[in-house]
Amino acid sequence: MLMTTLAMESETIAGAGRIEEATQEAVPAPLQSKLSIKSVDFFYDKFQALYDVSLEIPKGQVTALIGPSGCGKSTLLRCLNRMNDLVPEARLEGEILFNGKDLYAPEIDVVDVRRQIGMVFQKPNPFPKSIYENIAYAPRIHGVVRSRSEMDGLIEACLKRVGLWDEVSDRLDQPGTSLSGGQQQRLCIARTIAVEPEVLLMDEPCSALDPIATARVEDLIAELKEDFTVVIVTHNMQQATRVSDRTAFFLLGKIIEFGDTSNLFSNPENQETEDYISGRFG
Amino acid sequence: MNEPAREHILTSFEDALRDSRSSVLRMASVAQQNLEHAVSGLLTRNIELCNEAIAADDEVNAFEKAIDRDGMEILMRFSPVATDLRHVLAAMKIANNLERISDEAEGIARRARKIAKYPQIPETAMMEPLYGMASALFSDGIRAYAELDVDLGLSLNERDEKLDKAHSKTIKELTRAMERDTKNLKVYLHLIFVVRCFERIGDHAVNIGEESVFVESATDIRHIGAEALKEGALGVSP
Repeated sequence: MLMTTLAMESETIAGAGRIEEATQEAVPAPLQSKLSIKSVDFFYDKFQALYDVSLEIPKGQVTALIGPSGCGKSTLLRCLNRMNDLVPEARLEGEILFNGKDLYAPEIDVVDVRRQIGMVFQKPNPFPKSIYENIAYAPRIHGVVRSRSEMDGLIEACLKRVGLWDEVSDRLDQPGTSLSGGQQQRLCIARTIAVEPEVLLMDEPCSALDPIATARVEDLIAELKEDFTVVIVTHNMQQATRVSDRTAFFLLGKIIEFGDTSNLFSNPENQETEDYISGRFG
Repeated sequence: MNEPAREHILTSFEDALRDSRSSVLRMASVAQQNLEHAVSGLLTRNIELCNEAIAADDEVNAFEKAIDRDGMEILMRFSPVATDLRHVLAAMKIANNLERISDEAEGIARRARKIAKYPQIPETAMMEPLYGMASALFSDGIRAYAELDVDLGLSLNERDEKLDKAHSKTIKELTRAMERDTKNLKVYLHLIFVVRCFERIGDHAVNIGEESVFVESATDIRHIGAEALKEGALGVSP
C-alpha cells in the first residue's frame, strides 16, 4: 500500500483500493489532498529524523500518525506548519505542498502558515489570560474581526463548537488556567479554530486527560473533521482506531505503512506494523 | 504474514491467546471422541458407548462457555487487533461449531440407543461411509485451524459437496427400503435423522475451515461456494 501511495497523483488519493478488489463494489470518489508530503528527509543538525517520507493527507479526514517514541511522527507533524523552523540547525529536504503550493517556498509567510495550519499540543497550554482573551488574542492580531460584538459572537461560536460554552459562559473573564485539564484542552482547540484554519495538527492531545475528557475531545475531533483536515499523533492505538480515517505507521524515521485505518488495524500488510500494533515489539 | 509471529511483550496476553487456542483444540478432541463413540455405538449396538457420548456432551458445553468467557476477557483486557483479534473471534466461533458437532454426536447416540432396541437391519452399515466422510472433514477442519493451513481450509467446501450428494443418495435409498420393509419404519426414520446429522457435521467442519482461512489470511470466504473458491475468488488460491 505504501508503494501505491507513493505512486498516487499529487492532487488526489485513490480511496480504499482493497475494498475495490475484494467486493468489486463502486469505487469511492477520489479524495482531494490537503497536504502532500513528497520524499521528505529531515535533519536535526547531523541527526536524520525522517527518511524519504511521502504521504498524502486527504482533505476533510482525520489522519493518525502512530509509531514508537523517536520514530519521527511528531517531527513530521511539526514540519507541517513549519514549527521546526524554530529549531536551530534543523533542515528539511524534499517538498511539502499545502493546497498544491510549496509550504517552504521563500515567499511563504510563516505566520500565515501557522494560522492556516493550527496546532494543539500534548499538554493544554492556555495563555495566562482570561478565557475570553485566550480565544480573542489570535483573531485580533490576524485582523479576523473588526468590532467587539463581532468578537463576542466569534468567542461564543468557538466555545460552542468545542462544547465548552455551557460550562464557561458565565465566567469568561476568569483565567483559562482555572479550568480543568480537559476544559483547558478544549479551550486550546477553540483558540486554534478561532482563526479559521484549514488544518488542525494535534500532538497527543489527550495524553494528559482523564477518560471522560478524552472521550469529549475524541468526539470533538469527529465533529471538527466536517470543516477541518485533522492530523493527529497518538500513542493510543485504540484512539487511532476510534478517531482516524487513515493511519500512517512510522518506524525509525521511515513510513512503514499507510492506509485505511480499519484495514491497517485488522489486516496490516507489513509484519513490522503487525508487531507494533499487537504489542510484539521489543 | 508468513514469518513466525514474535511473542507479545505482555506475557499475560501471550498466555491468554495460547490458552484460548489450546482450549479449542482440547474441545475438538472431546467432540471428536464423542462422535466416534456415538457412531461405534450405532454400528456395534453398544449402549455403553452411546451413554458415554451423551454424558460427555456436558464437557463440550462447558468448554464452549469457558472459551467464550476467556475470549471476552481477552477482548476486554488486551484490546487485540489484526491477527490476534481474528484468533479470538475464530476461537469463539469454532467453539460454537464444535458444540453443535457434539450435539449432533449426542443426537446420533440417542438414536443409536433406540435403534438397538429393534432387530438389526443391513442398511445401518450405510452409515459407515458417510461417517468416514464427515469425520475426515471434521479432522481436517481442526487440522486447518491447528496448523493455520489455508489450502486445507479452502478444500473443505468442495469435499462437503460430495458429502451432501452422498447424504441425498443415502436418504433416497433408505426411503426406498422403507417402502419395501414397512415393519422397520421407525429404524429407517432414525437412520435418516442420523444421515442428516452427518450432513450437518460436514457443514460445521466447513465453517471451522473457513474460520481458519480467516485467521491466517484475513479473508472472509463464507457463503461464496466451492465453484467460486476453485476460481480463486477474493485472491485466495484453493
